[in-house]
Amino acid sequence: MVTDFSQPQRQSPIGVLVMFFDTIRIYARALWPILLVWIFKFKELNTIYLVAGIVAIFTIIAFIAYLRYRNFTFFLDVENQEFILTEGIFNKTRTSIQLNKIQQVNIKQSLIQKIISVYAVDVDTAGSNKQEVGIKAVSHEVALELKARLLESDTAVNDTAESQLEQSFSAEKQEHPFVKVGFLSLIKVGLTSNYVKSFLLLLAFFFSTYENLRHVIDDTAINEQQIDDYFAGKMFLEIIPLIVLGLFIVILIMNVGRMIFVYFNFSVTRQNGSLLLSYGLLNTKSTIIKPERVQITTITRNYFQKKLDILQIKIRQATSGEKQEKNSAIEIPGCSAYERDEILKLIFQQLPEKGVMLRPDFRKLGFAVFLTIVLPLLGFYAIKYYSGTGNSSIDYFVPIYVAVLSLLQYFKYRNYRLFIHNDFIIKQNGAWDISNEIIKPGKIQAITTSQLFWHKSLNIGSLTLHTAGGDIQFQLGDFEKIRGYVNLWLYEMEVSDSNWM
Amino acid sequence: MESFTNETIDTTRLPRFEEVQFTKLHPFYWKVLLINLSITLIIVGVLVGVACYNIEELIGLQMQVSIAYVVLALLVFYFSYLGFKRKAYAFREHDVLYRHGVIASTTIVIPYNRVQHVALHEGIVSRFFGLAEIEIFTAGGNSSDISIPGIEKLQAEDIKQLLMGKIQKQL
Repeated sequence: MVTDFSQPQRQSPIGVLVMFFDTIRIYARALWPILLVWIFKFKELNTIYLVAGIVAIFTIIAFIAYLRYRNFTFFLDVENQEFILTEGIFNKTRTSIQLNKIQQVNIKQSLIQKIISVYAVDVDTAGSNKQEVGIKAVSHEVALELKARLLESDTAVNDTAESQLEQSFSAEKQEHPFVKVGFLSLIKVGLTSNYVKSFLLLLAFFFSTYENLRHVIDDTAINEQQIDDYFAGKMFLEIIPLIVLGLFIVILIMNVGRMIFVYFNFSVTRQNGSLLLSYGLLNTKSTIIKPERVQITTITRNYFQKKLDILQIKIRQATSGEKQEKNSAIEIPGCSAYERDEILKLIFQQLPEKGVMLRPDFRKLGFAVFLTIVLPLLGFYAIKYYSGTGNSSIDYFVPIYVAVLSLLQYFKYRNYRLFIHNDFIIKQNGAWDISNEIIKPGKIQAITTSQLFWHKSLNIGSLTLHTAGGDIQFQLGDFEKIRGYVNLWLYEMEVSDSNWM
Repeated sequence: MESFTNETIDTTRLPRFEEVQFTKLHPFYWKVLLINLSITLIIVGVLVGVACYNIEELIGLQMQVSIAYVVLALLVFYFSYLGFKRKAYAFREHDVLYRHGVIASTTIVIPYNRVQHVALHEGIVSRFFGLAEIEIFTAGGNSSDISIPGIEKLQAEDIKQLLMGKIQKQL
């Protein structure tokens, strides 16, 4: 079957469905506060009005989706060697891309697209990080043919053997992702990581919705007095473990849900020496990692994950773009040790090695204990003493707090290491989630050494390595050794013009 | 290619950044600091004074508040003097060093081939004393950018030219 791309084309008719869900997603994001109010006022609303409202909203969304589908066309302008897309209901947008500017064309599927068996085609152009253009729903044949046509003209224009070779190479490789994170791995990762992050998110969400709800329904529903009475009636000590358990379950569910939602069908493909990641349940995202732009690679794993043979990789790239982009790290969840090695080989051309080990001084532990145990306890007892009142049951938590934090700080201290190899600097850190940050000495932008004046005679001090993707700090190490390495790195940076980006 | 060698480097004989002779900031810069600090302290002092006469709770404490403020001001002057004394810079053949900090002595080293751009900044008081500030930016973000204050204007221009030349050569 040969499709004629020279005439403006619509997407597959069934693509209306994809548009429908996409539109729902966009509007849901904009209208969620109203939805929330509805949910909480559910009982008070007239059922007929509610149903009518919901039907009306869905009809409107369906109508908008249909219009979006009708107004989305794409075609190949053979004469001018351009690929042209038009979209928009009221605000029409016409995007034209020169064919020789197209870097790559990716064919992808999200869950909804998978269900109705259509494909998305993303066109990537030079000079930008994000996808500029995407077609949301076409059949597989059309997708493949379009891709072939787009890339074929590309090679025809810059007619070099090299680029042709690269194209065929990439086309061949693209079909076989060499890392695929399965559904099971995502569940494993969700169950074993990000507890603290999710807890904080939950807390923030709880407080913001609580505040919002208070404004909306201050006259009804939640009666604070009732809640207080309820809590006072129960024993304080009995309620805490229950709350903790409940929180833990909620956090686990949230984690697994988030993992599946964000990282569903995660795959890594090799393309022209760079890595192409694509993932996502409802909307597929894709990112490109160029090995020469990678600044800091972080590998994180905790005890459970070690037993399950999964780990997370986080990659920070140098971005020439805006400030907020600078600190956005790309995450690869749920790799096995083998897949990690493959990815690292692609980024660094060899496996990073841990070289000479630097340990922190024991004062590092002492200071951490002072900051996280001694000071809070002093504050706690001071408040207790001056306020005069005090629930004696809180006292039981003091030994638990001390024990937990001592353990945490001890392991944190024991894992705090800097490994220096000729080609790699690796910083190991973390009490439970042990992370290894890997950089190449050539990526260093500037070096800071710092020493407190009372540490001069002890000859210990801190080192900060600044890269375009963030800083790496190592505190209270042997200052003599640190200075020696700083001199070596400076020498290496200054004699060679290594490409840090 | 003929001149290519790859001998082992004797790491103990590498130039040592900790033994570099640093240049102190220009003595006039202390005057600049003094004037700037005095202006700030006077403005804050006036505000505190107004507060003392108008807020009922503070009227009885005028004496204590003024003593506390004077002590605070003296401490601020003392620490800025120490800070001024500690600040020093050095330009080597291949990199720039800047040392600062009273409690923690911090030295930052930026090789010239990592410098993104250089800027010259003149404050209003500094200009009166003929001083300027050199700002050196890298791709490492805020934490690895440095600004060296208290350099004579002409010298600062020279340094800027030197750095620009070094950057140009790298490209």
